[in-house]
Amino acid sequence: MLEIPLITTENFITYALNGLSRGMIIFLVASGLSLIFGLIGLINFAHGAMLALGGYGTYVVIQATGNFWLGLVVSVLLVSLLGLALERKVLYWIYDEPLLGFLSTFGIGLVIEEALAVYFGSRSYTVQSPLSQSVEVLGVSYPSYRLFVILVGAAVALGVGLVLVKTRLGLEIHATANMQSTAEILGVDTARIYTITFVLGTALAALAGALTAPITSMYPTIGLDYITMAFLVIIVGGMGSFKGSFVVSMIVGQVIAFGWLVLSPTYVRILVFAAAMVFILYKPRGFFGKAEVHE
Amino acid sequence: MSDRLSDVRDVARGLPRRPLLAVGVLLLLAVPFLFPGQSDLATEALIFGLFAISVDIVLGYAGLLSLAPAAFFGLGAYTVAKLVVDYGQSFWLGFPLAIVLALILAFVVGYVPIKRRIGNVYFVLFTLAFGAIVHDFFFVTTWLTGGSDGLGFFGPPEVLGIDLGGSTAYYYLTLGAVATVGYGLYVLIKSDYGDVLHATRQNELRMRYLGYDTNRELMIAWLVSAAVSAFAGAVYVGLVGIASPSLVSFALTGDVIIWIIVGGTGTLLGPFAAAIGLVFTQELLQNLWQGGYRLLLGVLFVVFVFVLPDGLVGLLRGDE
Repeated sequence: MLEIPLITTENFITYALNGLSRGMIIFLVASGLSLIFGLIGLINFAHGAMLALGGYGTYVVIQATGNFWLGLVVSVLLVSLLGLALERKVLYWIYDEPLLGFLSTFGIGLVIEEALAVYFGSRSYTVQSPLSQSVEVLGVSYPSYRLFVILVGAAVALGVGLVLVKTRLGLEIHATANMQSTAEILGVDTARIYTITFVLGTALAALAGALTAPITSMYPTIGLDYITMAFLVIIVGGMGSFKGSFVVSMIVGQVIAFGWLVLSPTYVRILVFAAAMVFILYKPRGFFGKAEVHE
Repeated sequence: MSDRLSDVRDVARGLPRRPLLAVGVLLLLAVPFLFPGQSDLATEALIFGLFAISVDIVLGYAGLLSLAPAAFFGLGAYTVAKLVVDYGQSFWLGFPLAIVLALILAFVVGYVPIKRRIGNVYFVLFTLAFGAIVHDFFFVTTWLTGGSDGLGFFGPPEVLGIDLGGSTAYYYLTLGAVATVGYGLYVLIKSDYGDVLHATRQNELRMRYLGYDTNRELMIAWLVSAAVSAFAGAVYVGLVGIASPSLVSFALTGDVIIWIIVGGTGTLLGPFAAAIGLVFTQELLQNLWQGGYRLLLGVLFVVFVFVLPDGLVGLLRGDE
């Protein structure tokens, strides 16, 4: 059954880079989910729809202006605004009930995806890559757009990571996640922290959608494929652990890239999901999870 | 709005139960005569109604939100299809086999999470992964399941000179099966066991102090639900004649959750009625507004979650 292909140094580097760019996209989705889940305890099932909106938004702006970069910025901004409105108007009063929160976001995601399906139809769309040439990396020729995705992912990881560790906002987020009432007594505006975190998470999902548009074709329910994977990544990485979602996203990216050498993509997915199921049962806090687990 | 609403409630409460039930039964019996040519749609609605009931047992009574009910529905459908199409076995043999396979799979998958009490949030994610695996598995194992082509085509056999492949005959067969199984579930829920399950959902810790093995109670609900879902899937494949990956898809799982929320969780009759009503609504809207049905469904779902969390049944009862 298994055919072990010949691995040369050159295609090894190509596969590793493919795994890295794939891992970065997963990371952008997973880190947003993880921040929202870790802080608010909300299984945000609308996260995938936000990713789809980011992708479609980019497509619409490109159709109008022909500029990918403008599309990326505009769609991320607009989706973030939508996230802000959702959090302020709808979600904030169901935070105490995880099941209701899940159902609400499930419904909101469904409405967004079906609205996309009604407006654009269920056929898939593709976006022209803004960087079509290849560059030389470690002696192999590699598409420059995928390299750009890797750099953006790394920059976001570093940037958000530094904000979480070095700034007062990060401190307040940690305080709110770990001990909300104490944080409030000490003067932290936890409602504001919730809003900021939710909007940041949404922006990351939209960014992932916009970045992935030139790589894969878009369809209304594209987000579902990503968030299933992303949820399992944050389980293995540890709920609410930013570092955990980064490390595990990178590992999963490599597992997928090299797994495809010997198995069909679907079998690789099955294996990744099965591993995550075992993790949920026996190590629900994952590799890096320390914070209190939300029930 | 509330005045008119309470009028509706008063009417609903004031209606005599038995005659109402009799009218309902007569209506269901008369469907092939009232709507000639629509029997298949009515059959589909009944099957999905039973499916919704089976999932309501775990969601509404046991309080476990599973994102994998379609896995068991599809397993039932594929079991029958596999036996008939690939092995040339009897259509009827598929039913007990589907139930046994569903029980085994449900036990294997449910034992550890229920025993370890992993909590609602993790159970949702656990079943999300399980549902995705089952869907991928049915999609990719072409040698076993036919892959994206599925397994078809076949119809139920002829019994005592009656061709069950005919729309009307299969409708009555389904009606009988759904009524029998549905009544069985009703009896189960109204029994002491149903009370224990209800109490467990309210306060599991206290039930444990009282000496109940709540894990066992939840496990029973989980197994019953899986078995009935698989049975519904088996009946369904007799209607459509082909088992395809859409029967194990997340979309079907989403639909059944919506039926339950709209009908009212933990009411059995509510999800049953909502499933039937929404299947007919879908058929009606299909011709008027392509694709609009699912958007409407989403909006309806959000409204129910936020405004009417007790569903249609709660609305009629006037629960606060």
